[in-house]
Amino acid sequence: MISETQKWKAGERATAAKLLSPKGLFKKGRGIVLGSILPVVLLIAWELAAKAGLLAPHLLPAPSVILEKIMSMYRDGSLFGHVSITLTRVFLGFAIGTGAAVVVGAVVGYAKTAEQLLDPLFQAVRSIPSLAWVPLFILWMGIGEPSKISLIAVGVFFPVYLNIVAGIQGVDRKLIEVGKIYQLSPFQLTKRIILPAALPSFITGMRSGLGLGWMFVVAAELMGASEGLGYLLVVGQNTYSPDTVIASILLFAVLGKVTDSVLKWIEYRSLKWQDSISNQA
Amino acid sequence: MLHINRLKRTFNNNQAGFQNINFSVDKGEIIGILGTSGCGKSTLLRVLSGLDPNYEGKISSKDGNDNIGMMFQEPRLLPWLSVKDNISFGLEKEERKSNKYQTYLDLVGLSGFDQHYPKDLSGGMAQRTAIARALITEPEVLLLDEPFSALDAFTKMQLQDLLLSIWQKKQTTMLLVTHDIDEALYLCDRIFILKGQPGEVFAEVAVEKPKPRTRGDAYLSKQKAHILNLLNVEKKAAGDEQ
Repeated sequence: MISETQKWKAGERATAAKLLSPKGLFKKGRGIVLGSILPVVLLIAWELAAKAGLLAPHLLPAPSVILEKIMSMYRDGSLFGHVSITLTRVFLGFAIGTGAAVVVGAVVGYAKTAEQLLDPLFQAVRSIPSLAWVPLFILWMGIGEPSKISLIAVGVFFPVYLNIVAGIQGVDRKLIEVGKIYQLSPFQLTKRIILPAALPSFITGMRSGLGLGWMFVVAAELMGASEGLGYLLVVGQNTYSPDTVIASILLFAVLGKVTDSVLKWIEYRSLKWQDSISNQA
Repeated sequence: MLHINRLKRTFNNNQAGFQNINFSVDKGEIIGILGTSGCGKSTLLRVLSGLDPNYEGKISSKDGNDNIGMMFQEPRLLPWLSVKDNISFGLEKEERKSNKYQTYLDLVGLSGFDQHYPKDLSGGMAQRTAIARALITEPEVLLLDEPFSALDAFTKMQLQDLLLSIWQKKQTTMLLVTHDIDEALYLCDRIFILKGQPGEVFAEVAVEKPKPRTRGDAYLSKQKAHILNLLNVEKKAAGDEQ
């Protein structure tokens, strides 16, 4: 036993030291530097090419022009309005879609009968392309917020639902038996074994759901909106201003990345127990 | 304290499982169940633990207490719980928050590892945690299903000694399923040898030597030869049938 413990502790010291050493920090910094070489080179080349007149400004303006566009929207206050309305739509749709998926997915994953009853229907509905919903939702709910948020919720629902069902059905029978040895009730079994065991695939589902949420918000805002980043795309197209279009594409990219990072951080925090490559200390 | 009467559980048209099992276990006894694979010994433990309710026959315990602990071949720790929470898993909600786990953590020699996750444990340490988890509810009977068969020889011996020292402290009644004759002779007071498909108790071997015993003791070697002989008989019988 003593040798076992010492061996382990020695291993721990070694990895902790590796992480804190200048070499470890250098390694991390190196990743960031390596990852940004290509984008920076491309940006500089783009800027130079635009300045040299190689790129037509009415098709592809220089990065500095796009940045200036974003700054001017920030100064006149319209940037905040567009970003916040789009974020609100995504957030509400995401919350509604995820909430519904948790409830339905838990029932379908847990009860065989519910799966046989509901799953074929959901699988069929899932294969409908997202844009096909737009006219129907507008007919049903008008052009206002409810139709947009419903569309996003539908988009978020399916990946979350599929992953929850897969997660619950994939729970190791051996762990469930541990719960049965201690005579846990079905409710306790769900709470103490099934849900924690299904958490990794639930979070995976949320991340791909969020990605689809961003896709669907563009669809919703393209169809008819008076504010939002998708609306900016339409305005840019109609006024022949590529800087507006690219600026809003850029903002979508940034927002999508930031919101995904938040989920990734939650994933990291709540799945520290996982024995995976990314968790190797 | 545990009586088993004409217990039967078979699968595949009576081709597997066990039947006609009768025995009783006294308090504080360690019973070994030895047999070649496929004779239903793990199924027997699954029935006794309540995991498999489709059996015939009668299982009765004197106190009517169905508090049973079970250890499997794998540790089966919950990967999202720390060692501390894994050990406390079988307790009631209030007790889970207490530091009752500390006694058992120390008992299995894992002091200081309470905050670690299972992924950071070696096989032996994980199995120690599983022992602590099985013991913390103070079970009437502890069922062990080949608990050390996946471990290396040294860790295995350490854990067998650990189990014995726990038995000396707590006098826990144990039912140990194993295919390791040395392990059964080292730990058990009585050994039931299961044979056949479905398996039946073919012989009972009493190990009349006080514990702790010395590994490779002359008496144990003699008993081992006896058991091997019993198992060989089975082989010959099978050969005769063909």
